[in-house]
Amino acid sequence: MRFKQSGIRLGKILLLLAMLLLCGLTVFGCIGGALPKGWSGGTIANDTLFLGSMDGRLIAINLSDNSSLWEVPLETPKPTGGGFSFSCAPASTSVAIYGSPAVDGDLVYIGGYNGKIYALSSSSGTLRWVYPRQDNLQPIVSGPVVALGKVYIGCSDGTLYALDATTGDKQWGFQTGDKIWSTPAIDGDTIYISSFDKKLYALNATNGNKKWEFEAEGAIASTPLIYNSTVYIGSFDRYLYAINADNGSLKWKFIAEKWFWARPVAYNNTIYAPCLDGKIYILDADSGHELVDAIDLGSPISSSPVLVDSSVIIAAEEGELYSIDTSNNQIKPLASLGGTVDAPLCARHGVVYVHTQKSESLYVLNAQTGVVLWRLPLTTK
Amino acid sequence: MDFGAIWDLIILRPVINSLIWLCSVLFSNFGLTIIAFTIIIRGLMYQLTAKQLRATKGMQELQPKMSELQQKYAKDKRKLAQEQMKLYKESGLSPAGCLLPMLVQLPVWIALYQSIIRVLAVTPEDFLSLSHYLYSWPVVYSMLPLGRAFLWLDLATPNAIMALLVAGTMWIQQKMVAPTTADPKQQAQSRMMLWMMPLMFGFFCLSFPSGLSLYWLASNVISIVMQYFVTGWGGLVKLGPKRAAGRDKKYRKRITQVEQESSPYADIGADIVEPGSTPEEGLGYGKFGDKRQDRGGGYPTRLREIRRSTRKSKGHRPKRR
Repeated sequence: MRFKQSGIRLGKILLLLAMLLLCGLTVFGCIGGALPKGWSGGTIANDTLFLGSMDGRLIAINLSDNSSLWEVPLETPKPTGGGFSFSCAPASTSVAIYGSPAVDGDLVYIGGYNGKIYALSSSSGTLRWVYPRQDNLQPIVSGPVVALGKVYIGCSDGTLYALDATTGDKQWGFQTGDKIWSTPAIDGDTIYISSFDKKLYALNATNGNKKWEFEAEGAIASTPLIYNSTVYIGSFDRYLYAINADNGSLKWKFIAEKWFWARPVAYNNTIYAPCLDGKIYILDADSGHELVDAIDLGSPISSSPVLVDSSVIIAAEEGELYSIDTSNNQIKPLASLGGTVDAPLCARHGVVYVHTQKSESLYVLNAQTGVVLWRLPLTTK
Repeated sequence: MDFGAIWDLIILRPVINSLIWLCSVLFSNFGLTIIAFTIIIRGLMYQLTAKQLRATKGMQELQPKMSELQQKYAKDKRKLAQEQMKLYKESGLSPAGCLLPMLVQLPVWIALYQSIIRVLAVTPEDFLSLSHYLYSWPVVYSMLPLGRAFLWLDLATPNAIMALLVAGTMWIQQKMVAPTTADPKQQAQSRMMLWMMPLMFGFFCLSFPSGLSLYWLASNVISIVMQYFVTGWGGLVKLGPKRAAGRDKKYRKRITQVEQESSPYADIGADIVEPGSTPEEGLGYGKFGDKRQDRGGGYPTRLREIRRSTRKSKGHRPKRR
């Protein structure tokens, strides 16, 4: 080995190593810490499907002829050039949308990761109001819920906002101890909201007064399910809790291998709880006992399943779609969509709508056969 | 199983879960956790780092001789290579001694970096991704999400003050290891390293979460301390001309003796340039003066042995100042 001008070479090699380290840090680091992209589920009302796309558009699709009714970007993209940045993802001003839209009358409501809550005309997409009118809240991951003339939505600033559904004026706010990422659930005059402060709150939906609170052992990001006067909710502590909806007392809890992210579904006194450990736990709604062995899909389940007739349709994160027959709890594969599915599923008239994130598309499938009826690409490029 | 899966299984998952567990021990303070974890990892790699620092220092000390060899055998490249090899062999050094420990440490740095970014999950996507790396330890699940506040920092967002601190400490670190040489090419190289790295990391800190900046800052401070104990202040402290000349006089006497006793390159070593003839040369040789800055005995074995014998013969150990 020749060490010609070894000192200079050594310096060059050290320099090269330093550059290698920097590149390595950047490349490997970019695996995590990416920009938010969103995974809005669909909401169907008046023969129209409303859906938030990953590039920040609220889209309305006419289901009678599968045509696009309108689409509105939640925030006008602004060029951000001029700044020097080593950020992992390209600069973007599009608004990530995580919550599914809510529809009431002529208005459709949606919250954006930019910290704004929007109300648009469901027929034309015209903006009716935005909250707050100036500035922005912390990022909104929660989906809106409409009831009693109010829009309820959680925010990363830890507040559950109740806004006038017509004007967008704030009616009341309930402050929790940490971020709210889950969508509230409403039952009668009680609204249930979970928070990263490890608590589930039951509030008077009219004035926001707290009725009770339940503390879990871990943060809660999943949306509660109300069924037979019981609140079912999963937590980061790997437990699925069944809580008495009247007083917040614990009925039972069931531990899984990883945390529960998606909202479970209930049918015929049975709870179908998907988990990030890739399994669906089928539990007795009263006792929490497993009715059958957990069904392992082999891929995490972050998408909330949907009930179609007497079948539970469920999507694994890797894009595999399954159907569980509730009469015998047997599972059968429906379709392989080949794209990441984190968004909640929605269904109508025996048809299931799946929003896939990888090569973003809306898949429309027959819930019985799994046949893809049609597919709508949602990418703008 | 591809490389990514193996990396995740044996490196990333253990580091991520250890970080979360450590956070539960350290009062749920993730800033303290980053600092403590950096200290632990650097402590575990101390021997490797010290070896690298000593080897780098030794290589720098050989540079005057290398330069003279290059001048002497400028027209005979083959002979030059042979003589350089002999010199490396004689001194017990090789460039690989500097690079190998650094290469071994590289994956650890990357793993720490990745882990911090993942644990500081901000977006829902980050959280879902993080869930794939968690062990079934109850403490891990009850700790998430980790608190992001530390001093004045939100560890998940960039911070300009942290960028300055990282760049400043990195400059100090670079300055300590910068070789002092009369060779203009090497000087240019050193200057580039001295400024480029701090500037690049400073820019990085303006874009990445300040939790990472905290890791880099802690890592830099630890490096500075380690370098001080292994190689001294290095290029950070400039010696006064008179003091440097005095030291050089002693040094030259000693090194001449060393070369006469041990090295076949005595004829080369005798050509040492008078200190103070240029600022760089004066500073360069001053580094090897009677003040032992390596403290850890980082010199090549043979040189070290000879120096010890010299001290013994004088019957005293030079004072540290």
